[in-house]
This record gives sequence, C-alpha cells and structure tokens, in this order.
Amino acid sequence: MSLEKYQDHMEMCMRCSCCKFIPMQRVQGHKYTYVCPSITKYNFHSYSGGGRLNIGLAMLKKGFNYTDKLLDIVYNCQMCGACGVSCNYAMDMEVMEPINEFRIKCVEDGKTNSALEKVITGLRKQGSMVPVTGKRGEWASGLNLKDAVKEKVDVLYHVGCLTSYDKDMQRLAKATVKILQKAGVNFGIAGDNETCCGGRAYQMGYEQDFLNQAKENMAMIKKAGVKTVVTSCADGYQAFKVLYDKFNLKGDLEVLHISELVDRLIKDGKLKPRKRVDLSVTYHDPCRLGRLGEPWIHWEGKRLSQSFVFDPPKVYRRGTYGVYEAPRDVLKSIPGIKLTEMTRIKEYAWCCGAGGGVNESNPEFAQWTARERIEEAGSTGAEAIVTACPWCEKTFNETIKGNGSGLKVYDIVELIEKAI
Amino acid sequence: MALTKEIYSVFEDVVGPESICADPVIMPSYFGKNFAAVILPKDTKQVQAVVRLCNKYKLKFRPICTGWKGTFPENIILLDLRRMNRIIEINEKNMYAVVEPYVISAQLQAELMKRGFHLNVKGAGTNTAAMLRGHGHLDQSTSGDDRNHLAIEWVTPEGDIVRSGSLGSTDEWFSGDGPGPSLRSILTSAVPPGSTPGVFTKGAVKIYHWPGPSRLPVQGVSPNITLSEIPPNFMARYYSFPSLEKMMQAEFKIGESEIAFELMGFNIAMVASNMTVSNEEDEEVFRRLEKESQGLGFFIIIAGNCAADFEYKKKVLRHIINETGGKSLESIEKDPRTEGILLTNCIRISASIRETFRSGGMFASIPSMGQRDLTVRWAVGAGKAKRSLIEKGLVVDDGGAFFGWGVEHGHLGKTEIFCRYDPLKPGAEEAVQKWKAEQQKRASDEHYFAMLWGPEDEIGKGLCDYQSWWSKIRKAIDPNGVALEAGSLV
Repeated sequence: MSLEKYQDHMEMCMRCSCCKFIPMQRVQGHKYTYVCPSITKYNFHSYSGGGRLNIGLAMLKKGFNYTDKLLDIVYNCQMCGACGVSCNYAMDMEVMEPINEFRIKCVEDGKTNSALEKVITGLRKQGSMVPVTGKRGEWASGLNLKDAVKEKVDVLYHVGCLTSYDKDMQRLAKATVKILQKAGVNFGIAGDNETCCGGRAYQMGYEQDFLNQAKENMAMIKKAGVKTVVTSCADGYQAFKVLYDKFNLKGDLEVLHISELVDRLIKDGKLKPRKRVDLSVTYHDPCRLGRLGEPWIHWEGKRLSQSFVFDPPKVYRRGTYGVYEAPRDVLKSIPGIKLTEMTRIKEYAWCCGAGGGVNESNPEFAQWTARERIEEAGSTGAEAIVTACPWCEKTFNETIKGNGSGLKVYDIVELIEKAI
Repeated sequence: MALTKEIYSVFEDVVGPESICADPVIMPSYFGKNFAAVILPKDTKQVQAVVRLCNKYKLKFRPICTGWKGTFPENIILLDLRRMNRIIEINEKNMYAVVEPYVISAQLQAELMKRGFHLNVKGAGTNTAAMLRGHGHLDQSTSGDDRNHLAIEWVTPEGDIVRSGSLGSTDEWFSGDGPGPSLRSILTSAVPPGSTPGVFTKGAVKIYHWPGPSRLPVQGVSPNITLSEIPPNFMARYYSFPSLEKMMQAEFKIGESEIAFELMGFNIAMVASNMTVSNEEDEEVFRRLEKESQGLGFFIIIAGNCAADFEYKKKVLRHIINETGGKSLESIEKDPRTEGILLTNCIRISASIRETFRSGGMFASIPSMGQRDLTVRWAVGAGKAKRSLIEKGLVVDDGGAFFGWGVEHGHLGKTEIFCRYDPLKPGAEEAVQKWKAEQQKRASDEHYFAMLWGPEDEIGKGLCDYQSWWSKIRKAIDPNGVALEAGSLV
C-alpha cells in the first residue's frame, strides 16, 4: 500500500464539504450536524477529510513539505472514518485509506509526534500501548481462567492493553469473564502471553509496528489452535477483524466483539438477562466497532470505461456493515433499560475523541471531542451513556470528571453483568 | 506575495491566532492557490475590521462559504466564513429565516420542517449555504434566485455595513426592498460570494409551507438510505413522453394548475444516478430505465396539504399525463423503496453529487434561464453535440441528456446540460470545454439565450448597457479595487 496508489481517489475530491457533516438526510436541525471532530474544532478546511486529500495530492505531485502546521493537521485527527462515510454516500472513492497512508508516510519519513513516539517506544519494549504496571495477566489472578496457550479452548478472550493494565478498567475484563462463565463458554485468556493487537499503533501511522504485533498475535493464536477470538475493545476488534485481514494475516479466524457474542448467546438462550437494571441510557457507537469495524474487502480489478466502472465491480467500505444492531439488541434485552438514541449514531456517530493517537498527542482535543458527545448524550435525557470500548469509557469519564456533568458512563459488559 | 509580519499581526489581532493562517501547506485545501492568508472571521464586526484592513493595505479579498471549487487569483486574502454559522431567527409569522453564511441548507431545512416550513434548496445541494442565490429542484413551488432573498446585511468593499430593505429602517428582515434602501440591483449576485463585491454577513431567505412530517422517516444504513414509508399525501413519479412538444405541454399544464411540489426535468441518467449507490449499479440501471422510458421526461413530487388536496392534485396530474401521452416509470411507481430513495434525495439533499461528480469525477455545465420551450430546443442541439463526445469515449454516456424545470409554476425556468467526465483522461477536458464554448456561442448566435458572463459589450446592447453602469457602480463602492468578483459560488 502507498499514498501513490490512491492518487486517482484524491483527484476525485470536489470539495463539496459533505465530509464535514453527517449525511444530509440525517440532519435533524442546527445542532449535532457536524461529524468530523477535527474540522469542527480547527475550522480550516485542511482539517477536513477533503482537505486532507487535497493536501495529500498536492504533496504527491509537488513533493512533501513538512511544516509544523502540516504535522498539526496530520496528527489532530482521530482517524475515525466519519468523513469517508459521509463522502461515500454519494461518491465512489476511497477517503480513509489515503488519509491513513499519508500518516504512515509521515512516520516513515521520521515526521512523528513526540507523544506518539513515546507510546510506540513503550509498545516495542513492553508490548503495550499504555504504561505497564505489573504483569499483563495479573488482573485475572484468583479467577482460575484457562490459559489459552496451554489449554484447549473454543474462544480466546483478547483483553487488550487498557483493560489489562488500567486498574480502573480491569473491572471490564472481570465483567466479561463473568458473562462468559455464566453462559458456559469454553474460553481462555493468553495472560502474560497476550500482547497488544497493534491496532492503535496503526491508527497512529506506525504500520510496521502494527504488523509486528499482528504477526506475533497470529503466531500465538495459530499455535494455540484457537478458532475464535473475542474482544471487549473496539480497537482490538478492528485490528483482528479488519486490519489483520487487510494484510492477509487473519486467515479463517472468527473475530467477535463481546457484544456480538453476548447477542448470540442471548438469542440462543444460553444467557438470560433476568435482573432489572432501571436505567435510561443512550448508546455510543465506537468508531472501530461501527463504521470502521465492517469487514475488509479484498479487491483487485481494472477500470473499464470513461466512468469509474470496474471489473469486477469495486465494492467500497462505506460503513454499511459495521456492528450496530448487536449492542442495541443486547441493551434492549436487559429488563429496565430504556434506550434513547442520539442524533449522530451508527455509521455517522460522533467519535469519543480517543482515536488516532489524539488521546496521547492532544488530550485537550480528545476531551473537547468527548465533551461534544457527552452534551449530545445528555440532550436525550438519558442518565447514562453506554459504550462498547474501554477507550471511549475512559475518555468520557475523564471528561465528565472535568466538566461536572452528571452523566454516568458504562461499558455494555457492565450492564450485562448487572443483569445476569 | 507573503504578508509581512507586521500586516499578518494586525489581522491576527482582529481574529485571533487560531483563525488566521498563511502557511502554504494549507493552500491545497483552498483551491490550490497561494493565498496571502486564509482568515476565519467569527462575526460581522470581524469581517468589517478585516475588510477595512484590506483597504488600508490594498490587499484584494474574497469570501467563501462551504467553498466548492472555483476560480481564484493568487495572493489574495481569503475569508473563509466557516465560523459564521448561526441561525439568527426563524420568523414563522412573516415566513422568513435569517442566517449567517455558513448555515447549510440541510440545517435550516431540518429546523424549518419541525415548524411546518421549508426553503428553496439550491441545485448545488443541501451541503451548501442556505443563503446562496441560485436555483434548485424545488423551484416550482419555492421560486429561485434572488426572489428568495429579503433583507441582507452587507459589508461593503470599503468596510461599511449596509442593511438593505426593511432592515435599513427597522429591525425586521421581511423585505429586501423597503421600507429602507433597496439595493436589489447591486445585491443581486449569488450570495455569498459572487458578483457583488464585499461580504454578505447575514441574509433573510423566504420560507415556504411544508406539507410533510416534521422529519422524513429516513431508514437504512448509508448509502442504502430510503424512507420507511412514503409520507401521507406524498408521491414521486417519473414520466416520459413521446416527444419534446408533449413533454413541454405537460410541464406547462402542471405549472398552470400549480399541483407540483417539485417538478424536476431530470433525465433518465440522473434518475439512475440517484437511485443507485455505485457507478456499476448506475450504468446497469441507466440501461434498464432507457428501455423502460419512451423518451424525454421529468420527475415530479406531488404533496397534498390533506387527503382531499392530494387526491385533487393526483387527478389533475392523471388528466394531464393522459392528455400528453406520458408514461410512468414502473421502476419508481411500483417500488416504494425506490420512490422513497428519490423522495429523500430530492427533498433533503437536492440529489446533486451522485448525478454530477460520481461517475466521472468532474462535470462541466451550461446553465441557462429563459423560456423553457425555447431553451430546451437549444438543449436538444447541445445534447446531440454531446453524443459525439460520448461516442469517442470522452464523456460519460447519459444519452445526450439535459434537464430543467419551470420556476414558480411558470414558463420561465432553468435549462441545463452537462458533461460528466474524467478530467485526467487525455483529451477529455479540452473536448468538453470546446463543446461548452461552441454550445454557448450557438445559444447566443441563434438567439436562444446569452451567457451573462459572456461577451458583456455585445449582450449589454440589449440590456441598457448594464455593463457600463455596473462598472461605474463598482468603482464607486470599491474605490481601492480590493473586492473581487466571480469565483466559487458555493
């Protein structure tokens, strides 16, 4: 892959500005109309999806001129993919891929962000995107979980960096375990043998580091003979399901987000949420479970005619097949839960702010983005915002702590745990 | 020409360091021009201050809103009005809305629908400025062009603030012509920006009765979006006709009977584009619809204010269609999903991007205003000329089609024809521009219409030498020659 490969696509941008907004048919008023945090905060067109393509194309043609401003534009983007969805309602062109490639090019050229460099240094040394305290599998001590590397299991629960090491987030891992145990799933964890999925490194532009992690994970999975991986982190889900496939590393591994597995277990009658959880909630679609979680499409073909028609037909990833219904169905199955939707949902959801390394490189921007979402969630009248990714939960909680909002934040596994 | 540090800092003092940038790295996203700076004012006061500084330092400037592609000179100050995005007022009693330049039509439309109103959406789409002047699919029932503009707040090229029409004597925005100064002849450009120099900082636009629900029942995941149900008393159809004459008869009769909420002279290629989610599907559907239709046609939305009104309008429509030999496209009439797609696209998006940019990446258009039955005859010729480009594989095959509609249910209307093409294909750009120039010349030579941006001196002879008057006005209001005309319209 390279930026050059997407030159035709970047040429297609007509600067219509749709990439800044949710799809026009979904606009419900003056508020909650924007979909791209970057352009919404920084205002110059350069910070929009289209603007990024315009700049990428110019650099391809005229040479790369790295200035502080350029790097500010490049790294102040959550890589959330919303611009691509809004563009691709009408246009047949790649949007997120060239934006990804541009960032990868920056990293390859040594034009990195110091905060992200620090994170990646940690990844290289310790296999984690978050500071390491103790052992990776320590959270599971005393739980008597199977070691998927040594014992035969049907499902490997990949816990993820944040959930493994962050003391506050470890409750999500414990809740997930309780749910799987209750449903009688034969699962295990890799414990200290688990390493970062690499997904967030890829978002930050560190393709080679991502590939190193992906290869290490798949080698472990192959050795363990595991057929199904379940994650409770949207970044992990996208990495295993989409990115590993993109680089032909996934094979026939089945990848499920915990919300998909729980939805399946409930529908199969293996899990019964019977206890009431009286709570009015709204659901936040994590970008990498939703629009960016749709399967990778392998396509090779040639252009046929004057119009951009290909043989075989080129199928674009437009966010259509992300995981949207499973978490909603799960929430609806919990007695007492009242689900009210926000304006920006599913494929055109507003990002929590944590993606693309922004959480590390510009925490103020991450929290600004989260504040927008918290306000939108509050506007529904819900008592709580529910998400399906620890990174979203962490960002929301940190932001709420700072702004005094009374909104509660839950991961979906916490509510299921309460209900079973 | 880079700004000196001193001049940069005086602009920075006005808008703040976060809202000015002269780094060349951002310029590719601003039309690829080396602007002296891009400045993002937040309100009228800041616009005024920036304009006055432009006069002081003799710097040319231009404003943009969402900023679709346009032609811009180098080294100017570009005012990106993105931060001016407030809806100031929706006046239900007097049926107008006051907006800043970066309120897009989709935002205003959604707010209006909640209140039982809507607005004219320009053909460029609901993704563009609500106060933009122009025409769109809804012209039949919501007029078009400057007729939708009421009072305007205008920062003149020298930096004075002028409030036109009723706003000049009261705080009300209900009229562009008075009581107060009527500047319609000057403030007549596409706004903002356009021919009128200076910056429009607020504008009142007419709003119209909306007979539909407060929100269309949109369902599906992008790009497969349609309506969960056709709203009560709404109907979308496409009719094709045995001849151009019959089509025009039908259009005029529909206009005279004032039954259409929207009458859009889409051609089959544009219908196919709007129905489909990819170019491959588009080609396939276009071929199918070509076989299904009997020739030229139009798309129509009927919207009743009540069941009885709806029945009456449908009855009149049936009568006209029978009389003129029209044939309904079954692909729409018998498929509520497709009907829903077209309803939501044509009402909420103005349908523009799928039908213009998707297939080739670029389109070049010749729009005209005039008597519909006259201008369509020109368009037939332009369509025939387009066919030779299609045969050479230089433009996308749309059957040589054109489109248009009457404004305010009348005979006066918009007729337009465009070529969709890949600008990177060798010879395509040149061939399209040649076609365009030839067809514009033919329009003038054969007395169909004249392009107002064409040979002004020649056209001016028939229009009271307007160009010489305009030139004098321009010099009077812009003595330093800093405010640019023309360029991006959206």
